[in-house]
Parts: sequence; structure tokens; C-alpha cells
Amino acid sequence: MTAIDGTVRPRGARRDAPAAKRLRSTPFVRPAPRPAWRRLAALAGFFLGLALPGAQAAEPARQEVRLGDVTAGRLLFRTTEPRVYLPAPVVMTDVRMQVGGLIARVTVSQRFYNPTDRWLEGVYVFPLPEDAAVDHMRMRIGERLVEGRIKPREEAKAIYERAKAEGRKAALIEQERPNLFTNSVANIGPGEDVMVQIEYQQTLRYDAGGFALRFPLVVAPRYLPERPGVATTVSQGGAAAGAEDDDPARISPPVLRPEAGAVNPVAIEVTLDAGFPLARLESPSHKIEIAEAGPGRRVVTLAEGAVAADRDFVLEWRPETGAAPGLALFAERLGGQDHLLLMLLPPERPLKRQAIPPRELIFVIDTSGSMAGPSIRQARQALKTALGGLRPDDRFNVIQFNDATQSLFPEAVAASPENLARAGRYVAGLEAEGGTNMAPALTRALASGGTEAGRLRQVVFLTDGAVGNEAELFALIHAGLGESRLFTVGIGSAPNSYFMRKAAAFGRGTFTHIGAAEAVGERMAALFAKLEAPVLTDLEVEFPGAERVEAWPRLLPDLYQGEPVVLAARLPRAAGRIRVTGKFRDEPWQAELPLAGGRESPGIATLWGRRKIEALMDSLHQGAKPEEVRQAVLEVALAHHLVSRYTSLVAVDATPSRPGDETVVRREVPLNLPAGWDFDKVFGTQPVQKTNWQPVQKAGLATMPRLAAEATPAGPVLNQLPAGATPATLKLLIGLLALLLGGLGLLLRPRRRAAQGGAA
Amino acid sequence: MSRAGARRPGLWLALALVVTGVWQAGGGLYIHAKAALAQALLDSAWRRSRAGEAVRPWPWADTWPVARLRVPRLQIDQVVLAGASGRTLAFGPGHMDGTALPGAAGNSVLGGHRDTHFRFLARLKPGDEIEVEPARGAARRFRVTGARVADQAQAGIELAPDRPRLTLVTCYPFDAVRPGGPLRYIVTAEASPAAE
Repeated sequence: MTAIDGTVRPRGARRDAPAAKRLRSTPFVRPAPRPAWRRLAALAGFFLGLALPGAQAAEPARQEVRLGDVTAGRLLFRTTEPRVYLPAPVVMTDVRMQVGGLIARVTVSQRFYNPTDRWLEGVYVFPLPEDAAVDHMRMRIGERLVEGRIKPREEAKAIYERAKAEGRKAALIEQERPNLFTNSVANIGPGEDVMVQIEYQQTLRYDAGGFALRFPLVVAPRYLPERPGVATTVSQGGAAAGAEDDDPARISPPVLRPEAGAVNPVAIEVTLDAGFPLARLESPSHKIEIAEAGPGRRVVTLAEGAVAADRDFVLEWRPETGAAPGLALFAERLGGQDHLLLMLLPPERPLKRQAIPPRELIFVIDTSGSMAGPSIRQARQALKTALGGLRPDDRFNVIQFNDATQSLFPEAVAASPENLARAGRYVAGLEAEGGTNMAPALTRALASGGTEAGRLRQVVFLTDGAVGNEAELFALIHAGLGESRLFTVGIGSAPNSYFMRKAAAFGRGTFTHIGAAEAVGERMAALFAKLEAPVLTDLEVEFPGAERVEAWPRLLPDLYQGEPVVLAARLPRAAGRIRVTGKFRDEPWQAELPLAGGRESPGIATLWGRRKIEALMDSLHQGAKPEEVRQAVLEVALAHHLVSRYTSLVAVDATPSRPGDETVVRREVPLNLPAGWDFDKVFGTQPVQKTNWQPVQKAGLATMPRLAAEATPAGPVLNQLPAGATPATLKLLIGLLALLLGGLGLLLRPRRRAAQGGAA
Repeated sequence: MSRAGARRPGLWLALALVVTGVWQAGGGLYIHAKAALAQALLDSAWRRSRAGEAVRPWPWADTWPVARLRVPRLQIDQVVLAGASGRTLAFGPGHMDGTALPGAAGNSVLGGHRDTHFRFLARLKPGDEIEVEPARGAARRFRVTGARVADQAQAGIELAPDRPRLTLVTCYPFDAVRPGGPLRYIVTAEASPAAE
């Protein structure tokens, strides 16, 4: 390191003078833009930009922070500047899951520390599974424990703001998206510890004979298409902006770096009581350690202890053959009513290949910038596998989209070897860059103009779902679906599974999640099995005494092979039998089962409430009146202590802790980060370090002082700077050299030819 | 016949060299052209930003103007964009997220390419005046106090100075041919007392 000591002032300037002199002699100084050519330049710039967005993407630069960027959960400190926050160091996240049968109860604890000498307000943004029923929050400050209460959103906000003004400690949990929450914590004292503990309940996903549990540790940056006010700021105090449901700023706190969450260590412990003998238990995402605690009982921990929060945690398990439950029934009696959660697995139909009707398959692949890297490789591989699964009588097309939508063929073509070969080359050449403008691609894929009657039209949509305009897209799918079916395939380590699951639900297809590159073959094969096997449609459930039963979802989705019917119901007394009917193509199917005797399980009522809220919120995309939906959701959410879009959890400490003469200082707060806080881990351009994680407090000062030129490096420092050069000079030099040599070669030629001509 | 065959490789080589030359030189010129033209395009986005809205200069941009940077002595006038990623820096100097906004309390860190927008850093002298006009609020003047060279991973730029500070960062050395070196040229400017 030949870094020049920079205690510069005048002396340093002299030292740099030679460089300056050299430069002055070079001609390339950009002139100040002049009005005369501005208009033309602007036009040209427009087209240049169009042709080359992300031309510099190859540079190892910091990833830009876009609107819609939210990282894994972290505490942010507000500053005087509207869009500027600084994160507090996350000391540790601890996730404990109790899994019993179909249900997981999860406690997430995060401990934060206010390293400054001021009173702070923190904003904490965190992802949770999209179907999480968040029903508890408690805040521990030092030794004090404060329990959160459920309130209508505005009221909760008012309570919180009042407490903040009075100097009480307070915490507020709000839902921004079904899978994205914020927690604001007011009046964190200097040097104080804050523990935020959130509890939620969730139903496990059962598909193709196995269970899966996913805990999101990262939220991919969301792309919000152009919309007025997109870049507006969270107003000071954050309150005013909170009212808007779709205000991107709410879900887009300007977190410093999308991958910054990578330094957050997370410890996970899962206590699994599967209820059946296990054939397989594994995590495709993380190395795990498994301890046996009895038949079907396991305790799972991360093999590496605390890991970086850089990809979602996934745990999958499978019963021994024959041990799979064809039916599961859980019950909870609450408030004079029985709440039931029912899972029923229809029998698998033997797959008769000749019986499969000809299909039209439209593959849509997301080639936006968020897919760059492993994701696009995964998607290409998945698409290649999918093309290989086509039969000669199928028709197909490939559509890619980023800012623009482009399709391989004008319309679907026969899956002939030539067409497939062409598609294969097209797919191999796909690159990821640009924005995620999904709506035109969806419209195009769903437009089924030329499809022959009798053909199954299936749209396979490969994306990471990094979009923020979910509602708009759902409405589009709902309106434009027609006879098509939409199958979403989640790519990457942290797809927006809320979007993909819902999009598939609205599209009457299924969602397939490819977690790791190695899983592509297996998962795509499973998807293809679903695409080919007969679908169970027209599902209906009849309850005894139907008028007093409230069951969610109201309309059951079509079921593909390996998918169970999952239903939550509330009724006065669980007795009698229910009848489930449906059709496999033209073949009727039915099952009958008793309602009594469900396994007693706490939290079923909460899950019922959560499902009801989900159904109500979905109805918004189908044209329900917002005010009616709001009222209905409020009622359920308040009764079941659930966080929703219209309800928040708020906890207020009884006694004021901040002395009256001190203010919650936002001004300059971010500038007072602790000495020794490893800023380059937070701001740095380094790739995620999975095993090499160090405690946050360790590094920092040790690496910095010898270069320190700034006044007193006792304060926080910023390491890791953006790259500051383009390959322009290199290219120019290479180009000129090549031109010179080539030109000389050409110039010398005529003489030779003349000589030869003379000889002839 | 054999003579013709012997002549061919030379022709092809020369043509290949010319094509490569045009391609490479064009690529190099293109980077400069884009850098210059983008600034012109950004000018109107900036005006609208000043009018109170946060404006993306073109519809698919993932950045927007946050400030205007002027160095009267060198006749520099540039629109600063949000974020300092490679993609952003192709169009203009970028404001590093997480540092103070230009003109606000704290240290505002701006990055730029040494061979395009921030080439002028090499010509800055202590005492030079730099004016920063944020999207919201009044312009603020800074005076260059010094410069230094540091490894990018260990730059140790202080984030919480007592007085508002402006830090301009670019790659170093200025005339290196290959991009991507570890060294950065860091210019520090303090808020002018007069402007306080």
C-alpha cells in the first residue's frame, strides 16, 4: 500500500501538482453544455441511453440503491434529511420455530444497540413469510418488557407519536406489504439495548409429497414502474407519508445498500414435530445440523451457527412412503366457535401420456437487472429444461422482458426440432439488465388470440418477482386470464414469493420455487408433471349446516398433481361430515370426512383470521369496495390480534424515560455512529461473506488510522468508495492502435497489387 | 494462385484490425459521448427536480438528480445523481447513499469517473470554491482544503465532521489506462464560513 499520507492542506496539493499538470495538457475536458446544442444532445442522449442502459454494469461498482430497495430487516436511524437514514448495527437475530404438523409458530428476536450519545428513533424494516399471521410483538428495553396491543393503524400511529413526544419508549409494527413490515422504535436512550420480538403463526406449504418452510432473510429490491411521485421522500417524522397504502417510500426506506444486510448474523433453530416418520429432512439453502428427539421429532440448527442474512432459509421434509397424511385436521375452540384447519390430499391420477391434450406453452422470462448473475443462469437453465420437455404436437413461444418486451416468434409455433433449436440459441443468449416492466409482458403472454380451440394454454413465467406494483399486476391477470393458466417459477435466492404465489393463484396455476441452481432439474420436472397431469377443478365443499359456517377461501383453486386442499373454517360446533367434490377433466371425484376429532392446536383461530383477511384483501383486486373491505378486515384483525394493512401493533412504556429537557435528536444523528463500527461491512462493495462473518464491533478502527487524513478519525468513517474510471481510455488506445496498424496494412497493399499487376 | 493465397491473410488481418479499431475507439468515444450528452439531458430533469418533484431523467432510469455541482474557476457545472453505482456514474457524478445529502450537515460524498466528469478534480487547488445546489434548499459554498490518495477499501472518510463537508472521490491515478484500480483520489472541501 503506497498510499500517500493525506494530512494534506497546502503540502498535499503540491504533491498532487504533477498529476494536475499532466492532465491539463490532455485535450479531453468536457465543455459546459451550451443551449445551442442542448436540444439535439438531449435527443441523442435519449437514444443512447435507450440503447445502452447499464453499459457500465460490468464495472465492479456499488449496487445502486433504487426506490423499492429494502434489505433484510434492520433498524434505521432517521436523520434531518428526508431520505437519509442510517442503520444501527444489528447485533443478532434469533429465529425460533416450533413446527407441529401443518403449522409453524415462529418467534423472531432482534437485538439492537443505540451506539450514540443521543436519544434516537429507529425504523426497522423486515420481511416475513407472506402468509405470516403476526399477532404478537414485545419490546424489551434494558430490563423492561412492553407488550404490544393491536389497534387500527391510524390510532396506533397516534398513540405512538404521542408516546414519542412524551418521552416514553414506544414501538409500532405496521404492515407495508403482506410480506413486509416496519417497526418504529421511539426514544432509545444513549447506549441502550433494544430487543424487538415478533411472533407469528403460519401454515406450511405442502406440495408433491413434501413440506416446505421458508423464512425470508432478504427482500429483493422492488422495481416500481414510472409513476408520479415515485421518488418522493418520507417526510420528516415519517408520519405523513405513512397514510398512503402504496407509497413506495414506505416500503423503500433508503437503505444504504441492498446487500448490506449480509452482515446481519442470523441464528435459526427449528423444533420439528412432523407427526409422521421422516424419510428426508434437508435445507437446500443452508447447511444444517439435525438432532433426533424421537420418531418424527427433530431439532434443526444451522451448522455454521449464526450466518449472514443473504438468502432465504428453506427447510424441506418428506414423510416415509405411505406415511403421508391424506388428511389432516386441526381444531381450536375460541369464543364459542370451533375453528378448523383442514388439509386434504386428493389421490394422484395415473398419468396417461396419450390422454394429454395438445398444449400451447408460452414461456416468459424476466431479463431485468435484478436477475443478473446466478438468477439469469438459473432461469436460462430452467427454460432450457422446459424446452426439452415439449412434445412435438405442442406449440410454444418465448417472451423476454425487462424495460421492453420481446418475443422470439410473432406467435406460438410448433415444437419442431428447428424451432426448438432456434429457441435454445435465443435462450442461451439472454442477458439480464434494465428495469422490470412486467405488465406489457403479462398482457402479451395472456393474449391468446391465435390459440386453437381444444389446446391447453399454459403460461410459464420465470421471474424473481422484484416488483412493487403487485396490485396492478394482479388486476391485470384477473382481467386478462381468459382460458390461459399462469404458472410462476420463482428464481433466485430471495424471490418475492407473495407476488408469485398470488399471481399463480389469480392465474389459476401454481407457484414453483427454485431455490438453488442444483434444484432446477428436479423442480422443473415437478412443474412439468403438473402441467401434464389432469387438474382437479370445480372444487366445492359442503358443510353440514352450511349457513353458519364461514370457510376460507370462498372459492377453492384448481388443484394440480400433488397439491392439497387447504381450508380454514369457523362453525359453531364441529360435528357431522363435510363433502368435497371436484372433477378431473370429466371424471367426478369426491371425498367425505368427519369434522369432529381434529387435533387440538392453539392458534388455529388466528390462522383462520389471517386467511379471512387474505381473502378479503384479494377481493380488492377483483373489484370489491375498499371501504367495505377495510371495515371487514378491521373487525377480524382486531378480534384476532392480527397485524394487517389496517391494523398495527403498538407498545408504549408506562413511564417516560427521556428527561424532558432532552430532545429526540434526529439532527446529526446518523453522523454519530460508534467508533469501531465496521462501516465497510455496511457500505462496502465486498461480496457477501458467508463464513467469514465477524462481530460488527470488531473491525473498523484497526484498519483505518494509517490512512486517516480527516480531522479526527474518532467518529465514524466511510470506507469502500465507488469505482471512478471507465474503460474509455483503454478502448480508445486499443482502437487507435488497431486502426493505425490496420490502416498501414491497407495502405501498403495497393503498391503490392500494382507490383503484381505489372508482373502479370 | 499460391501468391494470391499468400496475399489474403494480410488483407484480412488489416481489415480485422480496422474493424477492431473502429469498434474499440468507437466504444471509448461512446463512453465520453454518453457522459457529456447525459448531462445535457439531465439538465431538464434537474430543473423539474428544483421545482419540487423527484424526477427520473428518462423513464427507465434508476436514479434522479439530487444536486448541482459547480466550480466557477474551472467552469464546471454538473448535475449530481443519486447513488454512485457504475450505471449511474456513466451519466454523471453520483452522490453516495448513506452520506449526507449535498448541502446538509455532515459529510457529503460524491463519486465520479476520473476520465469523464471528475477529470477536473486533478485541476482543483486548495482554496477553490465549489458550489453545491441541492434539489431542495439554498446553494452552499465549499472551499477545497486538500486532497489525498487512499486505497478504496480503507479510505476512512469521516462521516461526522464538525462542519459540513464535501468529499469528491474519483479513481487514481488520473492517467492510468486500465480502469478498476484500488486507489482513489479524495478531495475534501469545507463549508465556507461566509456562506454559513
